[in-house]
Amino acid sequence: MTTPSQRAPSSEFRLLAVPLVLFLLVFLGFPALVNLVYSVSEVSFETLRSPEITGFANFTAVWTDSSFWQASWFSFRFGLLTALLECALGLFLAIFLSPLIEKRSWLMAILMLPLMVAPALIGLMYRFVLHEFVGPVPYYLWTWFGASFSFLGPASAFWTLVVVETLQWTPFAFLLFHMAYQAIPKEIIEASAMDGAHYRHRLWYVELPLMAPTIVVALLIRFIDGFRVFDNVYVLTGSGAGGSTASLSIYIYEAFFKQGAIGKAVAASVILFAVSFAVLYGLNALAARRKGAR
Amino acid sequence: MTFSTLRRGGLIATAIASLMASPAFAKVTVLGWPGGPEETALRAAADAYNAKPDVTDANKVELLFFNRDGFWDKLQADLAAGSKAFDANLLATYSIGRYAPFMEPVELSDEAKAVYGDSVLTTMQYEGKQFGVPTDLSLHFMYYRNDLIEALLKDDAAKAKFAEISEKHLGRKLEPKNPDEWTWDDYAATALYFTQAVNPDSPTRYGTVLQLKNLLFNMMVFQSLPRSYGGNWMDESGKVTVNSDAFRKGLEIYKLLYDAGATPRDSLSYEFAEANAAYASGQVAAMMQWNAAASDLTSKEKSPAVAEVTETIAPPAGPEGRFTHIHGLGFGLNKNAENKDGARAFIKWLSSKDAALIYARNNGAPALTPDVVKEVAADRPDLVKLGAFASKYGYVMNGGTSAKALSVYELQAKEFTGYWSGQQSLDDALGKTEKGMTDLLK
Repeated sequence: MTTPSQRAPSSEFRLLAVPLVLFLLVFLGFPALVNLVYSVSEVSFETLRSPEITGFANFTAVWTDSSFWQASWFSFRFGLLTALLECALGLFLAIFLSPLIEKRSWLMAILMLPLMVAPALIGLMYRFVLHEFVGPVPYYLWTWFGASFSFLGPASAFWTLVVVETLQWTPFAFLLFHMAYQAIPKEIIEASAMDGAHYRHRLWYVELPLMAPTIVVALLIRFIDGFRVFDNVYVLTGSGAGGSTASLSIYIYEAFFKQGAIGKAVAASVILFAVSFAVLYGLNALAARRKGAR
Repeated sequence: MTFSTLRRGGLIATAIASLMASPAFAKVTVLGWPGGPEETALRAAADAYNAKPDVTDANKVELLFFNRDGFWDKLQADLAAGSKAFDANLLATYSIGRYAPFMEPVELSDEAKAVYGDSVLTTMQYEGKQFGVPTDLSLHFMYYRNDLIEALLKDDAAKAKFAEISEKHLGRKLEPKNPDEWTWDDYAATALYFTQAVNPDSPTRYGTVLQLKNLLFNMMVFQSLPRSYGGNWMDESGKVTVNSDAFRKGLEIYKLLYDAGATPRDSLSYEFAEANAAYASGQVAAMMQWNAAASDLTSKEKSPAVAEVTETIAPPAGPEGRFTHIHGLGFGLNKNAENKDGARAFIKWLSSKDAALIYARNNGAPALTPDVVKEVAADRPDLVKLGAFASKYGYVMNGGTSAKALSVYELQAKEFTGYWSGQQSLDDALGKTEKGMTDLLK
């Protein structure tokens, strides 16, 4: 016997799906097709409407460009580190502040404030907060210690950017973990307490496993967000001395607009899309296999 | 629904559509540089033009502004898409070659040569054709603290210390000089002397502030140094000449100052605003900066610590003389303009003496010839220096208006900042720049 989900789509279903399919074709399919054509063409702003197909030269140019690999490494490191830091801090705050938030829920609004600010504005804000002659942080460092610390110099720019990103997006991870923590049934906690589980054991063997799906999702979302970072980094340091703080998004933007290398920029974005798709497909397959094994 | 309701709805819809589409109905739509003195000046010029009795309603000027952020990228995308939203648009010296395929050469008024002079008019030329009228000029001043320099020049013990520092860092004993007689070595020695990391008795924390962010505009500030040593992008045959002693010397001087701590450690993230803030704090003795900073740095309200002791002169000299990068902002004709004749007439008028004076009196920064600038000298003394420096020291690198000029600046910014930050050697930086420029300018 077939279940409703196994039956062939009805004509009404097809009809209702038409607007969505058309929308996807026009707004995603067409640009994707144009991008694919540009990625194998010699194209400039003068020849946007008449690109000349030249094969895979753009892909070769990207693949052999040390700046592309430098930007890829920056994006990977930045995405991974910020995701780990944000999730670790967010998890700690969600559990540590849980009793306080339960009693004073308005604190949530204050903790969420950094999320309300556009990343570009965060970059602009720190550009001046960290400026040696304008910013409060260097001012007090100079007043108290007589030292002028370089926050955005070549040796420290990466870590400063990591801290700035972490400060802005930790509240997002905190929000997810707070909701997940609150959703753990009280009976389970009480039962484990009655069984004599110490708080650390309860956290490790009961609460964290129950929060694991949320932790994985938060890590993934924050990694993707960190990997494709653009706004705050671009405003704070641009692509950095010698391209040291260029993320892949910045690399693509600069290749497209600043260098006018449209084919190369699009080829880089196609590579990025292909790698992202492969990673997500792999993760999806892994999750499906684990689900099937249970 | 009655017919009258429908009609009312139709009228309202038409009115809303008309309002939303107003730029398309403009007689002559001019896309300007938003949010600064250039906008104020352009508005005044457009009002004056529209008030002329011989300008018909069909040729009156309406102004259009987009956001300043990413302006050139958006303009490039619009022009490439064949936009008809504006008839005349802003253009800059360093981007003429990129926009030229989407624009048409213009004819200036008979007075233009006498008003601006040849060197300024060239800032709006590409392949020998005039693509715009140069309404605003940007160049560089050396800003310095005259109180500090005067004290140094009077103090024998300070002079001895100055000689000792210059010998240690530059390899020869130098004497303090009046800044108007500085060579680049004198500037470097002075910057080192006024740096507490080098000279703990210095009254300022830093001797200079270099804007070293990986940004194309910072390369424009830097290049007057190698140019004064004879540096150029290309020779007459079109061969890229950046891998030269002149660029090597310029890059080394900057590296020396950065490594010695004569400029803030964060200078590698500094651009216009950060450098101004550093200088205005009173903790910097001298800096090379755009002329646009002059009004703020000499304003008692905006820069109380330095306003009364700040002087501006032309950049220091090298063996080939004194040079300042110049580039112009101006207005040219969109190839897809709907009202080309109207736009041509406006651009031609904008290059006349009357228009230049209106533009100058309303906060614009045109580089005017001595005969013309004297008519506004009482109101705008800064324009006297601007015009004089532009005609005496102004230069545009060979290839500086080419289609790839912006890309060349971007390339230099990446490679040179890589050297200054210690990520690559000088040979690598110059070698990569030469190779990249050869590809870009072929």
